[in-house]
Amino acid sequence: MALSRTSGINIDGIVSLVPANINDNLLLTHLSQPDREALIYHTGIRFRRVVKEENVSIKNFFIKGIENLLSNLKWEKESIDILICVTQTPHVSLPAISCQLQGDLGFSSHTMCYDINLGCSGFVYGLHTLSALLNSLNKLNARAILCCGDISTQLIQENDHTTKPIFSDAASVIGVSNNSETMSYFNLETNGSGQKAIYKEDNFMKLNGIDVFNYSLTMVPNNILNLLAFADKNIDLPKMYILHQANKLINEAIRKKLLLDETKTPSTLYDYGNTSSASIPLTLCKNWISESPNWVLFSGFGVGFSVASALIYLNKTIHLSIIET
Amino acid sequence: MEEKIYNNTNLFLKFTATELLIPFDKISLNNEFRGLPTWSSLNALVYISRINEETNVLISSIELADLITLNDIYNLISFKSNGAI
Repeated sequence: MALSRTSGINIDGIVSLVPANINDNLLLTHLSQPDREALIYHTGIRFRRVVKEENVSIKNFFIKGIENLLSNLKWEKESIDILICVTQTPHVSLPAISCQLQGDLGFSSHTMCYDINLGCSGFVYGLHTLSALLNSLNKLNARAILCCGDISTQLIQENDHTTKPIFSDAASVIGVSNNSETMSYFNLETNGSGQKAIYKEDNFMKLNGIDVFNYSLTMVPNNILNLLAFADKNIDLPKMYILHQANKLINEAIRKKLLLDETKTPSTLYDYGNTSSASIPLTLCKNWISESPNWVLFSGFGVGFSVASALIYLNKTIHLSIIET
Repeated sequence: MEEKIYNNTNLFLKFTATELLIPFDKISLNNEFRGLPTWSSLNALVYISRINEETNVLISSIELADLITLNDIYNLISFKSNGAI
C-alpha cells in the first residue's frame, strides 16, 4: 500500500458547482411507483443534477469555480503555483484541461499544470498530488488549485436503468496552500482486477453494481484502518468521515464495518446522487460545521478499482460554498 | 453452534423471503432465484448486501452467474462462511 505523509498543507476554500436542472427519481417513467420508492430507499438518491445543454463541458464548471474561489479567497492569479484538473469526462482529450484553463484564465506561465484521469477516488488522489508538489516547492505560502468533477450523465444511455438513477453532474474547485504546521496522511491503493466493475464501452459507462459493492467492501474499510494506524490516530479522532457518495447500500455497509456513528458520516446522496470525484468536497461544503479546527477523514473509491483515503486537519476559517449554474 | 442463515436452511429461507418480499410459504430451496417475481438487479444487490451484513460473506457477480437455485446460494454462503472466502 502507498502510505504517504505530507506537511504544511491547508485547505483554504472549496467551491462546489451543480447544474440548476434537477431530475427526480420519483418520476422515472420505466418504474412503477413502489419500485421508484424502493429505488430511492435503497440507493438513498432522490434528486439528480443533470446538465441540460449538450455544449456545456466540465471546463465551463471549472472556470466558474476558479473565478469564484479566487474572488472569495482574495487570491491573485499570479500567486497560483499549481493547477491540476481531475476528470474522466473532458470535452476534448487534448490538450489537458488544466493547460486550457491556464491560457483562458490568464494564469502565470510559471504555473505547473496537468490533468489526472481518475473518477470517484480522484479528489483524494488530486489532494495528495497537490500536497506532495507543494511540499516540493522551495517557497513559503505556495498556492495550488485542484479542480475535480465530471459530467457523468453524458456517459449514460437513456435506457440504462442501472446507472441513470445513480449519477449526477457536479464539479468542485479547491484552494490549497502550504501555510500550516500540521501533517496530512494518505493511503492510496489500486486493484485493477476490478477494472470491469465500472468502465466505458461504445461511448457509454457500464456499471456492475454487485462488483462495485464487493470491491468497496473489500478495500475501503481496510484502507481507512491502515491509514489511521499509519498516522497513529484513533478511529474516534476525526470529527467527520466524508466518504465518496456511491449509494446508500455501499456507504452504509462501509460505515457499519467501521462501527462509525451515522452523525460522523454525512450524506448528500438524497439531494445530489453520485457526483464522481466532486462528491467528497460537495459533501464537505454541505455539512462541515466546526467551532474549532478539526481532523476529517476523506475516502474516495470507484472506477479502477481505485481507493484513496486522506486524514487532513481542517481550519475553521475554510471558505465553503455551493453554486447552482 | 449458534444457528445462522449459513447453517440453518429454515433461517436462510425466512431471511430470503423477508429480503425479497415473498411470502415464506411460497419459496423453497429448489426455487430458481432469477424466476422469483421480485428478483431484479436492484433487489439482487440489496440481497447480496444483506447476506454480507449477516454472514460477512461477499458473493461476486461471477459467482452469482454460476448459481441457479436458492439452494446454490445457501451452499455457497455456507462454504464461504467456513473460512473459504
